Amino acid sequence: MTDARRRPPPRLVRRRSFLQLAAAAAGLPALASCVRAPRTRSISGALTLAAPDHPVTWPIYAGNEPIADNRTPERNATLRLYNYADYIGPEVIKAFEKKYSQYNVNVTVSTFNDTDEAMTKIRTGAVPYDIYFPSYDQISRLVAAELVRPLNHSYLTNIVNVWPAFQNPWYDQRWRYTIPYTVYTTGVAWRTDVVKTDIATLPNPYDTLWDGAYQGQTAIIDDWHTAMAMCLLRAGKTNVNTSSPADLALIQRQLEQLQQAVRPRVTITMYNDLPAGRFGQCQMWSGDVVNAQYYLPKGTSVDVLRYWFPPDGRGMVDNDLMVILKGGDNPVLAHLFLQHMLETKNALANFGYVGYQPPQRSLDPDAVVSRGFVPKNLASAVVREEYFAVGYRLLELSVANDAAWHRIWLAFKAGA
Amino acid sequence: MARRRIRLSPWPVLSLPGIAWLALFFLAPLYVVLAIVFGSVDPTFRTPAPIWNPLHWQAGQLTYVLDRIVGSNAVFGPALLRTLVYVLVASTLCLTIAFPVAYYVARLSTRRKGLILALLIAPFWISYMMRMLAWVNLLGTDGLVNKTLSLGGLFDVHVDWLSGRSIVVILGLVYGYVPYMILPLYAGLDRLPQSMLEAARDLGANRARAFVRVVLPMCRPTIIAGVLLTSLPMLGDYYTNDLLSGSPSTAMAGNLIDQTVLTPGETGYAGAFVLLVLVVSLVPMLYYVRSVARSELTAT
Repeated sequence: MTDARRRPPPRLVRRRSFLQLAAAAAGLPALASCVRAPRTRSISGALTLAAPDHPVTWPIYAGNEPIADNRTPERNATLRLYNYADYIGPEVIKAFEKKYSQYNVNVTVSTFNDTDEAMTKIRTGAVPYDIYFPSYDQISRLVAAELVRPLNHSYLTNIVNVWPAFQNPWYDQRWRYTIPYTVYTTGVAWRTDVVKTDIATLPNPYDTLWDGAYQGQTAIIDDWHTAMAMCLLRAGKTNVNTSSPADLALIQRQLEQLQQAVRPRVTITMYNDLPAGRFGQCQMWSGDVVNAQYYLPKGTSVDVLRYWFPPDGRGMVDNDLMVILKGGDNPVLAHLFLQHMLETKNALANFGYVGYQPPQRSLDPDAVVSRGFVPKNLASAVVREEYFAVGYRLLELSVANDAAWHRIWLAFKAGA
Repeated sequence: MARRRIRLSPWPVLSLPGIAWLALFFLAPLYVVLAIVFGSVDPTFRTPAPIWNPLHWQAGQLTYVLDRIVGSNAVFGPALLRTLVYVLVASTLCLTIAFPVAYYVARLSTRRKGLILALLIAPFWISYMMRMLAWVNLLGTDGLVNKTLSLGGLFDVHVDWLSGRSIVVILGLVYGYVPYMILPLYAGLDRLPQSMLEAARDLGANRARAFVRVVLPMCRPTIIAGVLLTSLPMLGDYYTNDLLSGSPSTAMAGNLIDQTVLTPGETGYAGAFVLLVLVVSLVPMLYYVRSVARSELTAT
């Protein structure tokens, strides 16, 4: 997930809502938490920003080298994962604990609401988290501040299981710091009992979200970059990381038109709200629409759900990562856990729980449907490897550009 | 000359826990907020970099917010104005509902007073969030409200209550906060001396006149306290809007704080909004203090 507020689907709606609200309630205390002195390396100069046309090999700093080969796992340890709520299958965790039961391993999961919050907390060093689940748009800061530990590849032989592109990704050449976790697309989902038109057949399917006929029935993702990038794609602009003032003005106009036309809900709970009928169409992550089938009311067929993503892959595609944090107490176990998650059997079990697809080579996109992970009518939610060759990536922006994007988003969220 | 003995009273010591509480949980956090608002931003992580020394404070983040409240670039103005209107309407509705209820319980109910009081406290047994979540289901397109309005399917009713409607947010605020007004009103009305009312009636005032000329003026501090108890938390409320609308078209000041507090580079704006809410809250609070002081003066 590329940014703030982007979270995976949960199993328990109420629990998710509670987490959301509780975290929001913690907003003001967060002001105080923000001021803890960061225990990180100071950064001077501009950040190196990775992009598909600008692959980056991150340096390994002296004093932060990978762990040695063949080390014995830590005994009686608590391996601390830091992740979005319900973004990892409990059974996969249990399987890991069982596998290393001779070392008496206990795995705990702490959750965050968005990666900005996570980064703030990690920087304080208050909790020695071992593994963190960021997106690639945080890599430069994680590496530059030496918050992450470089990987020892000898522990991670299962890397061969993932798509080749992720064995040497542009955001982390030679995969020095990161392991891919999930892949997903961002498209438009709808209920056929509300939206009678087949959105996929429209000349510009994004237009449906601006269609005044669906006022009160429309939602967009509460993630600044994802939502604003869609405005650009709708207008035929494909540079979804633009710094052009004209493009930013275009985004602003599009958001204003959206507000006037449909008064959209801005949320990340579409995995629940769409099947519950709280709206009829929305911008949506593929993993969420896969999970939405489990939230349909009794008696409602999964057939009412549809998802559109450009069939040629020219839409927003993203992936999340796993990294080992430098401040963690159990680097060996952390490596073994990543190895465990890369194992096809565990990756698939995790897919069944979170709804977000792992980039596993053995997972044939067609088999994803035939094996029942994704219903036939949502086959377009299956993420294909080739999408990553042509799809648009939400990249880390320069500080000034990031601020400019955020200003427009804040004005939109303020209902101006 | 006989030296006057000064005897120190032990009673002020009892106020120490209260003072410590205030210092720890109000003054210290407020200072943190000020240090963030008047501080700077980490150039890389865009996290707040508070400035603790007031002599070095910078007003950039505060003026950024203030500049955008009115004028051609007033992106925050509508949400702040909306908040005031919502809170004003919701507080008025709360008072309209709460006063007769509190009056009945305090003055007219006799045997059932205990039961009614218990029922009035009942909403506190369930968290505010849970009660709002219940309304999300009730107000859904196929929820109980629409089913009731359709008179059992006689009419086709598909009102999208949760689609960014101001009225739903306001009624949500009323529903959520009205118990907080009933209880202080009840406490105030219950203490109203019966003799004063009887004196008014003896002097020829009918029920309505006695109510207007005696009960209401005597209840003024209580009413103000009730309005304050409900309107102040409403000013910072964000989850009522989040749950019952979720649309920017009904965003309130609390939503602005929630949106900015953890957004990189915008934490200072959150602090500025907090200060704005604080300043706005101070006005009715000062009026309350003045009103209580005046009523005490009248009583003596």
